[in-house]
Amino acid sequence: MSRIEIVQLTQQFKGHRAVDAVDLVIEDGDFVVLLGPSGCGKTTLLRMIAGLLEPTQGRILIDGVDVTELPSKKRNLAMVFQSYALYPHLSVAKNLAFPLAVLRTPKAERVRRVHEVAASLGLENLLERKPRELSGGQRQRVAVGRALVRRPSAYLMDEPLSNLDAKLRTATRQELSELHAELSATFVYVTHDQVEAMTMATKIVVLDAGRIEQFGTPDEIYHRPASVFVAGFVGAPPMNLVVGTVGSIGGVVTATAEGIEARLWPGVAEKRTVVIGVRPEHLRLDDFAANAESTAGSASALSVEGVVERIENLGSEQVLYLRVGDTLMTARGDDFGALRRGDLLALSAPIERIHLFDEATGQRLEWVPEPDELPAAAAQVAVMA
Amino acid sequence: MFVTDVRPAPAAEALSNAAGVSPTRRRRRRVPIAPYLYVLPALILLGIWIYRPLVQTFQLSFYSWNLLPTQPLTPVGLQNYVSVVSSQQLRDALVNTGIYIAAFLVFSVVLPIAIALLSRQVGGRAKTAYQAIIFVPFLVTPVAAAAVWRWLLSDSGGAIPTVLGNFGIDIGDVLRSPSGAIWAIILIVGWQMLGFGVLVVSAGIAGINPDYAHAASIDGAGGWTILRRITLPLLSPTIVFLVLMTILLSAQWTYPMIDILTQGGPSDSTTNLYYLLYQIGFQNFDAGSAGAAGTLFFIAFSLLALGLVTLSDRLSFYDN
Repeated sequence: MSRIEIVQLTQQFKGHRAVDAVDLVIEDGDFVVLLGPSGCGKTTLLRMIAGLLEPTQGRILIDGVDVTELPSKKRNLAMVFQSYALYPHLSVAKNLAFPLAVLRTPKAERVRRVHEVAASLGLENLLERKPRELSGGQRQRVAVGRALVRRPSAYLMDEPLSNLDAKLRTATRQELSELHAELSATFVYVTHDQVEAMTMATKIVVLDAGRIEQFGTPDEIYHRPASVFVAGFVGAPPMNLVVGTVGSIGGVVTATAEGIEARLWPGVAEKRTVVIGVRPEHLRLDDFAANAESTAGSASALSVEGVVERIENLGSEQVLYLRVGDTLMTARGDDFGALRRGDLLALSAPIERIHLFDEATGQRLEWVPEPDELPAAAAQVAVMA
Repeated sequence: MFVTDVRPAPAAEALSNAAGVSPTRRRRRRVPIAPYLYVLPALILLGIWIYRPLVQTFQLSFYSWNLLPTQPLTPVGLQNYVSVVSSQQLRDALVNTGIYIAAFLVFSVVLPIAIALLSRQVGGRAKTAYQAIIFVPFLVTPVAAAAVWRWLLSDSGGAIPTVLGNFGIDIGDVLRSPSGAIWAIILIVGWQMLGFGVLVVSAGIAGINPDYAHAASIDGAGGWTILRRITLPLLSPTIVFLVLMTILLSAQWTYPMIDILTQGGPSDSTTNLYYLLYQIGFQNFDAGSAGAAGTLFFIAFSLLALGLVTLSDRLSFYDN
């Protein structure tokens, strides 16, 4: 129903830029999550889309129409607030009917829609209650219901699950996903919770300090983080990030750091300082017996040597903390066996699980083999655009 | 064979033991007296300065006495009440009090709402300055304000009659005019009360979560609809509070102005209940009638206050 286009959008507050020249296109039917730490500008960006905040610069287009100057009441959007903002003096039924009432929808139609929405959210028995007589989960439903009662061009949500307990949050997450599938409408959803982002989004916008760090599908964000920030922000426990050096030895590109060694691709790379990244779940215990016979095969991989600091048992999995040089690395696995604090240990990860970032800019580095694939030819390490 | 993990029996015993012990422990616990001690000083002062005189006023209302300690108190039964209720002066004062209250509702409720809503458009420091300008008259002592206004309104060279005279409007000596004096007093007291009203309404508006107005505007409501359907209903506890203050206190607020500017005249046209009470008691030295009138006013204002407090409770929405 609607495509939202954001061009060079900027919000300048006293002394700092909350949103800094953001360009973004939200396609019709997308569930876009604006993800980032607090203060990254995600809520400011959403409020500018909603028309609650006038941008300092830039344009907002909905379905090609410039709405930058339009007041929020004319943008035909619906929003769920973090505080839910249920009108405290109105009953649930009147809260749900409010958007229809201000549009002067005929009464019969109003009643029909309110009951439809109430039925779909399980609110029929609460219609006569005041917001203060509802539980947190019920309030959240009413807030969603008020957004659903109209057919807006897009649904905006500002951390709508942050006031719910963990169990209810999981259930509501699934309901929101189903709702999105059912309506096939455009959703813009703000959260600092990466689980919400990963589970619900079709596209994630990772924001930091008012700028977009990466815009992509949850898969892309997780498996091909565009910067050190994204790599460190998404994933729990976070990706292991160690400063090291890229170079080449004998026609093979290598990455090394204290306690870490990786033989990567055939080719030659100029020496440069990088950040080596590998996710905890991709680090595996080296099977020394198996390793002995396939040394050649596992050569193009990353190996880590360190001292066990501690193991956390989470029941379904274990988290291993390994002291490697000056840094503490983590590994996730089903069972690390009878390891003890102080044990010397080697872990390894396959080549496709290794991420490299430029140390200075934090940008992801992609390896592009030379077209003629001559091992001796000068290869290059390109900065991903 | 399946074996279920059964909790060992001793734990259950310990539980029942604990239950058996607790009643005796509870019985031994003393009623805490510390909280009552903390409020005691305030209660004593209230008792001495508010409730003791109240009871004495009630007692005096059944006697005839001229306030002279050497004179005896003569019991007269309900005679004082009969004379107070049938007095023409009381009826005049009652009507005037009604006019004062109605007029002050404009100055302390209607205008402050309008001013506070408009001042939302003013931002930053200008807003503070703007509110300060409106609030300052409230801080001027009534006696000083009365003196200034008497000069301003004086028919021999006062600023207001002179300026109005230039436009061909002759207001004469307003404070001596039986029809105009009450409006002069309303204007002066209203000017002072306006700041208080604006302050209270601004605080009330500031206490409303801006999310409500934002949500309403996204829901498609314009400024006027938001004001009528969201802001004013949410402000209603504040409005009821101001109405309550105005009704209960306007007689007190006007008292100093009446006393200094008109002494209730000309021909009782500016007097109000409290000023009448003062006159009966301390100008006519009729302690019994003053006591009877005081008791009646107390009962009437108590009922009004009770009604408004109940209304205010019903209108409170407890924003979460």
